[in-house]
Amino acid sequence: MNHDLSKLQGIFDRYPRQQESLISVLQDIQKEYQFLPCEALQETAKVLDVPLSKVFSVSTFYNAFSLHPRGDKVIRICVGTTCHIRGAALIQEQLENELKIKSGETTPDMKFSIETVSCVGACAKAPVVIVNERYFGPAKVSDYKKLLKGK
Amino acid sequence: MVRLTINGRVVQASEGEMLLSVIRRENIDVPAMCHHEAVEPFGACRLCVVEITRQEWDGWCDYVTSCLYPVADGLIVNTHAPKVNELRKTILDLFLARHPKCTEIIELAGEYGVTRTRYETVVDGDNCILCGLCARICDRMGFHAISTVGRGHGKEIAPPLRQAPPDCTGCLSCAMNCPTNFIEYKVKKGLLTIWDKKFELLTCNKCGKETITREFAVHLSEQRNIPPNYFDTCDACHRNELAAAMGRIAAWDREVQL
Repeated sequence: MNHDLSKLQGIFDRYPRQQESLISVLQDIQKEYQFLPCEALQETAKVLDVPLSKVFSVSTFYNAFSLHPRGDKVIRICVGTTCHIRGAALIQEQLENELKIKSGETTPDMKFSIETVSCVGACAKAPVVIVNERYFGPAKVSDYKKLLKGK
Repeated sequence: MVRLTINGRVVQASEGEMLLSVIRRENIDVPAMCHHEAVEPFGACRLCVVEITRQEWDGWCDYVTSCLYPVADGLIVNTHAPKVNELRKTILDLFLARHPKCTEIIELAGEYGVTRTRYETVVDGDNCILCGLCARICDRMGFHAISTVGRGHGKEIAPPLRQAPPDCTGCLSCAMNCPTNFIEYKVKKGLLTIWDKKFELLTCNKCGKETITREFAVHLSEQRNIPPNYFDTCDACHRNELAAAMGRIAAWDREVQL
């Protein structure tokens, strides 16, 4: 898959070209493309002078990074202990049925992705669903229409 | 210099040294799978656990990985205390559950009397204990071709993007130093295959035996200033040549003396 990599240069220019900038650069790439394209990883390794193996190691270590293209809207369902007790599984089931995908997948029209996360530190609002950067909580199964706005 | 007691014997060590290297120097057999003197200690396998205490600790003991514990004056170390053996048995038991077919683990566990695991066996597991020694040695060799990928249950050792690693030269340092011989490579018809990458093997111009990969030879001659033609001949033939040369010198010496 080809991606417009012209935005990478601007991201690289924001940080000093050293190993310590790796995570910041990856975060910005992830924000820009919703995932980390292979070519971007290779470019990052070259620009920051970090071995490609290290870049790959870091980008697979953190759940916040994805190596696969994701939908415009990334729905993250918290399944941490508190959210689990308060019914996260039901919300997950409802959203998965509604979008006809499983957690970790993306709809064929590239509009939605579902992911599960383990605790986002918002247990007071459990169960929590995060759509892109917006937090919804306490979420109810019947909220799915609101969560899937634009479907 | 620091003085410490290991298994009742007073030994000397230099400041900054780790316990395990002193223990090994004293010829005491303490198992360790993830340790290699070429790389920094890592503490991944936990097998080198020992008991430490001090006079002033009043009978209180601590259990530490000796590969990561720096020596100190007055330290009293016991490498095979009953509780240490128990700890090691538990670790080996866990290894055995996860890698039931691994001969190296079966053997080591047997030495500690663990022949059957108490835990549920992982059926479709592999023999990689995820100590990362291969990746650390690859870094030390200066290639950085492989690394740990993912984390938790999905953690594994893999080349970047799970494709043939561009920086690998086929030096085989990873495979040769793997404590469980997990890393596979194949040599067939003058080709070496490792990490899904194929390498041409050089052959000795004297005996025709396969030596190292062309990439590795180029790397060594460029980065380590070794004359490129050094790799045209294998180690055994180098030695033969050297012996022959010494013979010629001796004969020449005799001639001069006559």
